[in-house]
Amino acid sequence: MQIFLIILGIVALVMILMYNSLIGKKNQVDNIFAGVDTVLKKRYDLIPNLVASVERYMEHEKGVLENVTALRAQAMKPNLSDDQKIALDTKLSAALGAITVAIENYPELKANENVMHLQRSLSEIEEQISAARRAYNQAVTDLNNAIEMFPTNLIAGWMNLQRRAVFEITIAERQNVNVHELFNR
Amino acid sequence: MKSLSELTDFYYKELYPYLEELEKTRNHILSQLKWYGGIGTVFFLIIALWMGKNFGLFHPLMIAVAVGFLLIASIAYRYLIQGYAKDFKNHIITPLIGAIDSHLLYNPDFMISQYLFERSNLFQHSIDRYSGNDYVKGSIDGVPIEFSDIHAEYQTRDSKGRTQWHSLFRGLFLVAEFNKNFKSKTIILPDQAEKTFGNLIGGWLQSINIARGKVIQLDDPVFEKKFVVYGEDPIEARYILSHSMMMRIVEFQKKISHPLFISFVQNHIHIAIGTGKDLFEPTVFKSLLDYKQAMEYIHTLRNTIGIIEELKLNEKLWSKE
Repeated sequence: MQIFLIILGIVALVMILMYNSLIGKKNQVDNIFAGVDTVLKKRYDLIPNLVASVERYMEHEKGVLENVTALRAQAMKPNLSDDQKIALDTKLSAALGAITVAIENYPELKANENVMHLQRSLSEIEEQISAARRAYNQAVTDLNNAIEMFPTNLIAGWMNLQRRAVFEITIAERQNVNVHELFNR
Repeated sequence: MKSLSELTDFYYKELYPYLEELEKTRNHILSQLKWYGGIGTVFFLIIALWMGKNFGLFHPLMIAVAVGFLLIASIAYRYLIQGYAKDFKNHIITPLIGAIDSHLLYNPDFMISQYLFERSNLFQHSIDRYSGNDYVKGSIDGVPIEFSDIHAEYQTRDSKGRTQWHSLFRGLFLVAEFNKNFKSKTIILPDQAEKTFGNLIGGWLQSINIARGKVIQLDDPVFEKKFVVYGEDPIEARYILSHSMMMRIVEFQKKISHPLFISFVQNHIHIAIGTGKDLFEPTVFKSLLDYKQAMEYIHTLRNTIGIIEELKLNEKLWSKE
């Protein structure tokens, strides 16, 4: 009888520990996503300014600019799920990249102090976003691992925890990884 | 910054007259050392023989005499090379630092403040004795930098009440302004646990290190293998440790072959290189004109000052300009 009670106690303790660690991981993901959200908002705030100052020059890239404005409007909507925000961010990054490339073709824009200032702010925020994305991806990977691995997957199923999506790492971020090193290990 | 070959040229051409003179002093000291060393040894042997006959070879008094002799020898050694060391620092190291970058000031007797050393958060033990020398301060490419030799120690008492001194850190300590703004602390330490216990147990041991805070798992496998990162803010830690920064740190570690400790606190980078010895000291038993010896001085100085370029701390964010 006593042995049975001891075993029961140990099992309960392990269950509690696993439950708490899962909750901790889930909260860490939410917590870091709040940080991601903050830097993403910083970028949204810059977009109208950027569009307004390059519009007059960029006759041929009207479509790109409209696309960016539309994406921003979508991203600013309330009640978006995390996954939707992530998907929009990927599209917006690509569209902004297109504008940056286009600016290179306009010497007037490159000489414009206001535009240059905006571009540099954007690239600085871009670095912060990249850091936030990487932190989020790590937290999500931790959570997803716990959801799928034995024995935490049993409790996760009972708690109804869902896998989360990670941010795609953009090509520019990947470039920093030393490919040569990876192949020579 | 001047190239390695330019500096080697400078050492052998511009500094040659001083080197020659110092070489004479060195040879003189060497012969003095041999002479006194010889007398000392004979003296010690006579006493040892006499004591061995009367008290036995392993008597406690015998040990005391041996320790006493060693103490006297080390004091005598220091006394003998005192002037030589000073001349060496004034006439060789000072111009060498000036040749590397004219914006640098050098003081052979001063050191980085204990405040900065403790601010780095790299070594958590309390410090009972703090010393150092060879202090360099200035700016490289507009980046404020300072470094010096540091020896930080703490003491303990054993069960018999005897005090013992332990080295907490001995080596080169450097502080420079970092090119990004941040608020939290991020600390990078050599990965001992993972090296000794492997991935799984080592990783677990790191994660339960309460004094250090949260482990930050980074997405560069080469970097992760060599270092463990503790930080208060997972986003800011990754903002500081971009992929390229992690790669540069790995490259830098490969070059120095000593334990490397780095921390980011209050917009500054703190770097401690555990060389385990006092750098920039003149050689007594090897010639100053010896190529290997010369390269050691030049390499150490150039690599230390080159950290700014190596880690690209001079590429400032525009908002910090």
